[in-house]
Amino acid sequence: MKRIVIALALVLCAAQPALADKVAAPIPIGIAVAQTSNVALFGQEQVNGAKLAEERLNAAGGVNGTKIALVFQDTAGDEAGAVNAFQNLLNRDKVVAIIGPTLSQQAFAANPIADRAKTPVVGPSNTAKGIPEIGEFVGRISAPMTQVAPNSLKQAMKIKPDLKRVAVLYAQNDAFSSSETTTFQDAIKELGLETVTVQKFQTTDTDFTTQVTAVLGANADLVVISGLAADSGNLVKQLRQLGYKGLIVGGNGLNSPNMFPVCGALCNDVLVAQAYSPGAVDKNPVNKDFAAAFEAAYKKGPAQFSAQAYAAVQVVVEALAKIEKETGKKIADFELADLRAALNKSLRTGTYLTPMGEISMAPSGEVQQKDFYVSKIVMNPDGKTGAFVLVSE
Amino acid sequence: MDFAWLLQSLLNGLSIGSVYAVFALGYTLVFSILGIINFAHGAVFTLGAYLTYALAVGHFGINGLLADWTMPVTLPFVPALILGALLSGLAGMAVERLAFKPLRKRGADPLLALVSSLGVALIVVNLIQYLVGAEIYSFPADIFGDLPMAVIFKIGGKPVAVRTIQIILFGASLVMLAGLGWFIGRTRGGKALRATAENADTASLLGISVNRFILGTFFISGLLGGLSGTLIGVSFGVAGPYFGVSYGLKGLAVIVLGGLGSIPGAVLGGLVIGLGEAFLPSDMSSYKEAVAFVLLFAILLIRPQGLLGGRLEQKV
Repeated sequence: MKRIVIALALVLCAAQPALADKVAAPIPIGIAVAQTSNVALFGQEQVNGAKLAEERLNAAGGVNGTKIALVFQDTAGDEAGAVNAFQNLLNRDKVVAIIGPTLSQQAFAANPIADRAKTPVVGPSNTAKGIPEIGEFVGRISAPMTQVAPNSLKQAMKIKPDLKRVAVLYAQNDAFSSSETTTFQDAIKELGLETVTVQKFQTTDTDFTTQVTAVLGANADLVVISGLAADSGNLVKQLRQLGYKGLIVGGNGLNSPNMFPVCGALCNDVLVAQAYSPGAVDKNPVNKDFAAAFEAAYKKGPAQFSAQAYAAVQVVVEALAKIEKETGKKIADFELADLRAALNKSLRTGTYLTPMGEISMAPSGEVQQKDFYVSKIVMNPDGKTGAFVLVSE
Repeated sequence: MDFAWLLQSLLNGLSIGSVYAVFALGYTLVFSILGIINFAHGAVFTLGAYLTYALAVGHFGINGLLADWTMPVTLPFVPALILGALLSGLAGMAVERLAFKPLRKRGADPLLALVSSLGVALIVVNLIQYLVGAEIYSFPADIFGDLPMAVIFKIGGKPVAVRTIQIILFGASLVMLAGLGWFIGRTRGGKALRATAENADTASLLGISVNRFILGTFFISGLLGGLSGTLIGVSFGVAGPYFGVSYGLKGLAVIVLGGLGSIPGAVLGGLVIGLGEAFLPSDMSSYKEAVAFVLLFAILLIRPQGLLGGRLEQKV
């Protein structure tokens, strides 16, 4: 009996909430992206963007004079890795918000954990359907494909008004690409074009001989690709090498300078609809500033992944500053749990002028972005480097 | 079922299958001597591609330790390929010295060597990412000079297209296979190798230095692995530090399919799996990775010892 009482007492003690945590200074913000595995290609870009944001925002005074500190946790490329990274950031590092994970399918696994811990998540690159619906504390600043994709098809029809036969290719093992391709296929129908073949591949594939042969056999005059940078670059290369001469439209995954070394000079003229364009600097001083700083830091132009990671950090910092302004209380004086809740609300108010242009977050957590861009790839004579050149504003 | 598609698939399959064969031979050689699978073979494959890239292009991207580092000299492609393969051979020897020999000396269970070689593989792969980052490196398009990118002809009004690199892949693999066949069948070294494979104890009684031969075998195995890595790398791009993993698994399927330890079996297995992948209907082609193993199970049901494997001895 005595033992049971002691055991009960212990259980009750354990059930007591731990002493309330204060917010640490500098303010910890979690970055959970893929720094290893085959997704590291994108994770690296996100790390670069986030680090640049930390450096520049801190140099500008952080949150009204309080510095921020990014806490990086590698998610690797799978769901388990993302879950572990989230748990570490929430419980060990006591972050005020998490920016991540890299892939949509990781978000579906890991975001509910942050949601239960009542900690805001800002998705820097999740564009699949259903991300904001995961929970009250889940938001994103990466525009979903449904808003972005159709723009590039319209542009292709402008370039070649007699377009008719479309071949669709997509990476079926990637949640994002599979959801993007349905968007594309719906848009193709709506624009009165005909889908003549749908070919699937895996993001890990390197040999696309079979798919390309099928496209050539179907006599398509437009090819639409939803995949990631590496596989799609390879696919573009093999399409061109095997003699496909028509237009190519790429989804969001192709919107990355990582394409350039993969297909080299053969990347030329691929059309991509973008949520971010390094070339759109005339109307956007923030982007001009960011692109120049990125170029100086990393010796290459920023990819969308870098810009969105940068914007995610910027949005969190501005939302924190807003809390101080509205409550008249320093961030360091908040209880962690209160701040997390306040930050989640603050993120969803007002607008942010980011490298992608003006964005805001709806109460649901869905991003609302004002401008989208269509660019085409123009490679330099060296065949290794190139740029996304804006074809529409 | 039209003839153009048939021919196209046949050419595609032969080209990729021949590379599988070269790669799988590296597995088979080590297996025939030591009776264990060297799990670091896929990592040596990856390493070979990166080494050749370093020698031929001489510059890596913006991530990793070697970000802004440039090789003082670069070589034309063919010497780079050969040197890269030789260096991979040395890497194969290092794997033997690190992962296999210490355990052999202790008389440890061969299973342990499997684990230690897996460890070496992980270290190599992570080291590559640490040094040069995770991005894809593509050999420049003009690596073969002015050769056209593809040979395209029409059969019955349907196009058949073969990339030049596919032809080169096939040719280089044939040369490699022929060279190896000659070495094993016609030279003293090859005879000794076969003797060691047959029975290491007897071979050492006959005055063959078994340890030296094991080292030599790892050299050849590494050379074949590195060479096939380069060939795949030129064809499809050097797809990040992890790109050897799936080839490593496929190579295993190839040798089991062909018959463990059988050299012609490895060649046949490679071609069978390459053709199996190529003849998969195009809307199923994203399941290509599974083909190797489906074929493997199908054939093992009919022939448990693999296509050209020796008879399984009944242990009574």
